Amino acid sequence: MFKKILSVVLCVSLILSVTLLVGCGDSGSADVYFLNFKPESANVYIELAETYQKETGVKVKVVTAAANTYEQTLKSEIAKSSAPTIFQVNGPIGYQSWKDYCLNIENSDFAKLLSDDALAIRDANGKGIYAVPYVVEGYGIIYNDAIMRKYFSLSQRAVDIDNADQINNFATLKAVVEDMTAHKDELNIDGVFASTSLLSGEDWRWQTHLLNVPLYYELRDSEDYSDPTIAGLNAKEVAFRYSENYKNIFDLYINNSITEKGLLGSKSTSDSMAEFALSRVAMVQNGNWAWSQIKDVKGNTVAENDIKFLPIYIGVDGEEEQGLCIGTENYFAINKNVSEEQQQKSLDFLYWLFTSDTGKDYVTNKLGFVTPFTSFTQAELPNDPLAREVVRYMNDRSKETVPWIFTSFPSDVFKTEVGGVLLEYAQGNKVYQDVENTVKSKWKSERK
Amino acid sequence: MKKINFSNILIFVLLLVLSFLFLIPIITVVINSFKDQFFISQTPFVLPNSNTFAGLENYIKGIADTGFIAAFFWSLFITVCSVAAIVLFTAMTAWYITRVKTRFNSILYYLFVFSMIVPFQMVMFTMSKIANVLKLDNPIGLVFIYLGFGAGLSVFIFSGFVKSIPLSLEEAAIIDGCNTLQSFIYVVFPMLKPTAITVAILNTMWIWNDYLLPYLVIGSDYKTIPIAVQYLKGGYGSVDMGAMMAMLVLSIVPVIVFYLSCQKYIIKGVTAGAVKG
Amino acid sequence: MKKGAKRWAIVFLLPTVIAFCIAFLIPFIMGLYLSFCEFRTVGDAQFVGLQNYIRAFSQDSDFINALVFTIKYAITAVISINVIAFFLALMLTRRIRGTNLFRTIFFMPNLIGGIVLGYIWQLIINGVLYNYGYSITSSATFGYWGLVILSSWQMIGYMMIIYIAGIQNISSSVLEAARVDGASSLRTLISITIPSVMPSITICLFLSITNSFKLFDQNLALTAGAPSKQTQMLALDIYNTFYGRIGYEGVGQAKAVVFFVMVAGIALLQLYFTRSKEVEH
Repeated sequence: MFKKILSVVLCVSLILSVTLLVGCGDSGSADVYFLNFKPESANVYIELAETYQKETGVKVKVVTAAANTYEQTLKSEIAKSSAPTIFQVNGPIGYQSWKDYCLNIENSDFAKLLSDDALAIRDANGKGIYAVPYVVEGYGIIYNDAIMRKYFSLSQRAVDIDNADQINNFATLKAVVEDMTAHKDELNIDGVFASTSLLSGEDWRWQTHLLNVPLYYELRDSEDYSDPTIAGLNAKEVAFRYSENYKNIFDLYINNSITEKGLLGSKSTSDSMAEFALSRVAMVQNGNWAWSQIKDVKGNTVAENDIKFLPIYIGVDGEEEQGLCIGTENYFAINKNVSEEQQQKSLDFLYWLFTSDTGKDYVTNKLGFVTPFTSFTQAELPNDPLAREVVRYMNDRSKETVPWIFTSFPSDVFKTEVGGVLLEYAQGNKVYQDVENTVKSKWKSERK
Repeated sequence: MKKINFSNILIFVLLLVLSFLFLIPIITVVINSFKDQFFISQTPFVLPNSNTFAGLENYIKGIADTGFIAAFFWSLFITVCSVAAIVLFTAMTAWYITRVKTRFNSILYYLFVFSMIVPFQMVMFTMSKIANVLKLDNPIGLVFIYLGFGAGLSVFIFSGFVKSIPLSLEEAAIIDGCNTLQSFIYVVFPMLKPTAITVAILNTMWIWNDYLLPYLVIGSDYKTIPIAVQYLKGGYGSVDMGAMMAMLVLSIVPVIVFYLSCQKYIIKGVTAGAVKG
Repeated sequence: MKKGAKRWAIVFLLPTVIAFCIAFLIPFIMGLYLSFCEFRTVGDAQFVGLQNYIRAFSQDSDFINALVFTIKYAITAVISINVIAFFLALMLTRRIRGTNLFRTIFFMPNLIGGIVLGYIWQLIINGVLYNYGYSITSSATFGYWGLVILSSWQMIGYMMIIYIAGIQNISSSVLEAARVDGASSLRTLISITIPSVMPSITICLFLSITNSFKLFDQNLALTAGAPSKQTQMLALDIYNTFYGRIGYEGVGQAKAVVFFVMVAGIALLQLYFTRSKEVEH
């Protein structure tokens, strides 16, 4: 019995593996190797690579790092003999880590596509271009206007405004949210906010995106630097002056959540987006990239036209003019250590992606990117509801955009530590003072 | 006599309950693999109903997302080839260093034994780096790596057994005109068969389930089953619990088939391996 | 014989020895050396002496915490695995109907890989805790017991097999004599069975201790260290130090060396115990 099975298994596996080897034998010899950062776009990039190979014959290998493991994956991949030719850095801090690998691409056609080359990452002396942003994104509080309209049609409500657009500060937001929680049965929702996902690796919306807002207000007032991101990069310490505001908004999220606090540590971002898509909640904090997740949820009940953005108000003076948090942490860099031919082919691929009709179609319609490139006209913006909202806020002169100053956060470890302590605070194992202390002490110790 | 029977019945019932407890996790995963993904994490112990039943959808999605078919064959290929290589080559090495007593050979023997106690983390970085430089970062190269990394335990087990084989048989073969290789293949190796099965079983259990070594060496280009399962968790920006459950079931099935068909050898192999290891 | 065989050294030794050098010996020596270096990749290593070892313990408390957690886990897991496995083995050596089926079931989890096991138990544990408003990451206690339950489920079958072999080796005449002398079953267990299976007990104890120390896959899949690295064990901490952050490669390697010394220490202890037992017999 044993012998028979063993020999059958041996034969079958040998035959199959030979077929596989023949089939996949050429996978090592890609001209362009793109290490993708965005897991939600993994399949689009693979499709894109196939299309590109059909058009030009150049083979593009796409590898996608699992969520929250980009730095790890890049680190092990870049040490290999067939290293990634295109990789991503997440801003000035990322550039600092990887500068030994970033090629100066100032004179490439790709870099010249930038509508404003102040966006590019330069070296310490402000020379050269080492990384180019390729997508501008915005985040805030996404809400389902159908549920909001239902709320504002209630006869008994605690606020005197009559639509969600009029929410323009934290006090109003809080009043609305808490009143909605009180009326959640009438509104047919299980909570106002979707789960504050605090599963490790899924907590970036809080330890990075939400923390961006209070630290922006602090760094904005820096005496030495006019640009808050640069102020952040140079800040040896933060006072965390708006800590109380951070607590207020975070408490608002978890106290009016669909999920009990003890369970937040098991929730992922996709859980939150599913809750929103199934109309079980009215609001969720996330960015325009989440559209693909909302759209793909089976049994999705939220209408496209009802998906809107609200800025994240935290109760700072003058926040009535605050807009969405708009910026980028997605920069392409070309590996300095691969052959010149591979570098050129990689640049050609990127140029093709952002200028050819096929490439632009992918960028606009499948990846849903609002790009900072001159090759895209106003008509070529993505047509999903969240991207439209981001563009609307960007063009609204009366709103002041909050930049993504989190690209100046000292390290990934800083963010991970804050995420960990937020989870413990949410679960009641720690008090808020611990969160505040962690932000301050880890900023200091990670900024060396 | 009656009293003993009574206690045996009690034990039988106890064992029955324990077996059920042991099977619950596997049964639960199977049940949930047929449920829609949003009904899994909160109510895993509820049977699917018409509302939550997802049919084979999870399986279809999971297989497509992870490239499970390819992963299965890579796992199979790597495991079968590595085990075959380990059994053949370490048997030869073990026989040689046991029979030919030189200082070099005894140093070699102690190095093999030493390697058994070194945890993988000690060499994970340097080994994956060397594998990359020497272009061993592909499934065939990985077989070679497994031969090297698995050599310690296997040589040790084989050596223990070779010592018990009477020398006279080999000498008789040599006198009959066999050269050393022939005498090993025709005379010694057949006698090593029970040990070879032990070595094969122990290495199969290790290699089939190994995660970190293949992940570091070939993980970006080729996925084995554990890598595919782990990737499903972190990749694609979302955890599809349904697909996850389906993949867990699919990765358990080959193991159970293997186990049920070779159970006798597995139990023997584990016993023998433990006593020697 | 010897002379004849020597000519074949290349055939018999070369494949294994080359593979062994590439996969183990050279990486091991390089690893030792690199633990005294500051490096990003092998090429740019710079000797820094003991600095990495100092940083491993002083930079943050992760390593110490992981060590404490690992030891705490190992103690509980080793006891639970061995006690349950031993009693299962006792029950399965009484010629009860269905013994083979029971043995098959108890051993089965052992063949399932750590990653898959981790996710299976995550589902089960979260499913149970959900009813009380918790999840496995709510507190390190849940992760701790989750790991203990998981590894018990996995390892009990394996240890049980070894105990069964040990118990079956006890000569029936001794047991018969005890029965004739009217010894109670507890008395027989303590005076005959346990002393006779001492070698099995030693093997199982050390196997389970080493396995507990080296646990990685299960830890990664079940909790990945959450909350706040409180359930992070040594192997996972080393991996995260190494690959998780830039500039810590040397520290990770130094931690790995310390880890190796600990595991080797346990193994030597085992050798000492087995040897001393052999002398007694």
